[in-house]
Amino acid sequence: MPDVTVAPAPYLKPLPIISDLNRPFWDGLAAHELRVPRCLDCGDFNWVPYPACRTCLSERQEWTVVSGDATVFSFTVVHRGPGAFDADVPYVLALGQLREQPRPCNVLANLVGVAPDAVRIGMPLRIGFVDIPSEDVTMYRWVATA
Amino acid sequence: MTFPQRQAAIVGVYTTEQARFLDRTSMSLQLESIKGALDDAGLTLADVDGIVPFDNSGYSTAPFATQSWAAQFGGRAMTFAEPGSPTTGIPKAAMAIAAGYADVVVAFWGKAGWKLGPGGTPVPDVAPRVGEWDFKLFGGGYTHFYAMWAQRYMHEFGATAEDLAQVAVTHRAHATLNPASVMGARGPLTIDDVTGSRMVCSPLHLLDCALDTDGGYGIVIASAEVARNCRKQPVWVLGGAEATHTDFYATIDDPWFPESGQSVRRTAEIAFGHSGVTRDDIDVGGLYDCFTVTMLRDLEELGFCKVGEGADYFREGHTALGGSMPCNTDGGLLSNSHNGMPHGMHTIEVVRQLRGECGARQVSGAKIGLTLAQGASVHGYAGTLIMAAD
Repeated sequence: MPDVTVAPAPYLKPLPIISDLNRPFWDGLAAHELRVPRCLDCGDFNWVPYPACRTCLSERQEWTVVSGDATVFSFTVVHRGPGAFDADVPYVLALGQLREQPRPCNVLANLVGVAPDAVRIGMPLRIGFVDIPSEDVTMYRWVATA
Repeated sequence: MTFPQRQAAIVGVYTTEQARFLDRTSMSLQLESIKGALDDAGLTLADVDGIVPFDNSGYSTAPFATQSWAAQFGGRAMTFAEPGSPTTGIPKAAMAIAAGYADVVVAFWGKAGWKLGPGGTPVPDVAPRVGEWDFKLFGGGYTHFYAMWAQRYMHEFGATAEDLAQVAVTHRAHATLNPASVMGARGPLTIDDVTGSRMVCSPLHLLDCALDTDGGYGIVIASAEVARNCRKQPVWVLGGAEATHTDFYATIDDPWFPESGQSVRRTAEIAFGHSGVTRDDIDVGGLYDCFTVTMLRDLEELGFCKVGEGADYFREGHTALGGSMPCNTDGGLLSNSHNGMPHGMHTIEVVRQLRGECGARQVSGAKIGLTLAQGASVHGYAGTLIMAAD
């Protein structure tokens, strides 16, 4: 089962301006799937999405549902945040490296499910989905699985 | 084609007052910097035929800052107009001058009225919309990326908080000898002061971070012929290069610290190749120290030590006043000023060193200097510049 939560209203943190180019990604989140562009020519995953594969420049990329499993590549515990984030301090920002390889994909998101001072590089993560009330977007976050 | 050594020189430099808050506009600081740098050179506005403004001019009447500035400069044809940043723009300006495109190029920056840090950011009434991969979606910013960089660096190489803190301590010591620095009057720091300062975002403490200040600066580059008739002794451009390999904090490739180096390494290889000098020849340096960790990484990427050995190299004192290559003698971005786009500040300090103008912090006999500017996704773009005293 995907890890799904609903953010408390009102949600006052920034949300994305969604473009046609990347709409399948955000549609995927709404369906509680993490989709990453995979090159049909060389097989590499690409994050963040680019118009062409960053390995071979092929435009033949396919939105591919990935495992959502990752490990902490790096992180920081934030003690002073911008805007609505300041109410959440200390909060964790993490680069989660997707299990999918060979091109490593480091995905930035907030990390929850672990005390901030217990976060470690290499810690296993799972993608989580955050439905945003009164908005047309579902966000994503990292959830510690240990 | 080889780089045109000693065919262009830095002939004028200027820094405005640098402070946490200036009751000025960014535009006003830039105008003061342009006039101040030209005056330092003994040149006038009418001599200028090239400009290197950064994109954010503060008052724009055209799609490109270069166009607005050409109009502001009086509407004469600017035959070299590069929307780069000071330091990264200087090697190109030197080449353009050598090729006859221009004789006098001014690079400048000024900032007031906004802050880099998140302090005091208001909570909006509705969720603001930002770019799809913007770090703001997750409460991120520049500092957080350097923090993650530092975290990974410490993980891979075993560096400690004290290893990072020594950079802040050394650069503050330098600032105490620079009356114009923002922090010098506060006196020296200890390692414990740094590691005991408020945690901003782990592992970076407040004193691991650059200042967030207002200020401006200008740099004038001129042909050899013009340089010979300027007010001050010329500082010759020996070589330089710029490189970029990332976007703006969106794509973060792994590895972060390859042995073969990244953009900074490429610029160093090219700059040293052009200049015909070696790392041992550098008498004084100005390296990008937006955070303590950045300084250690600068030294590694520039090839002064191996990747992962920056802390040990720094601890040996090479870059401190009295060492073989004192760096950031003005106090750097940590203790002098970080005015938003401070890429030219280090170059100005090195020029002043090579002119022998630095008073209590003067590096005696300084002949060859190097500066490094960097930014974007942590070392994602870089500009290295090598200069020589007359």
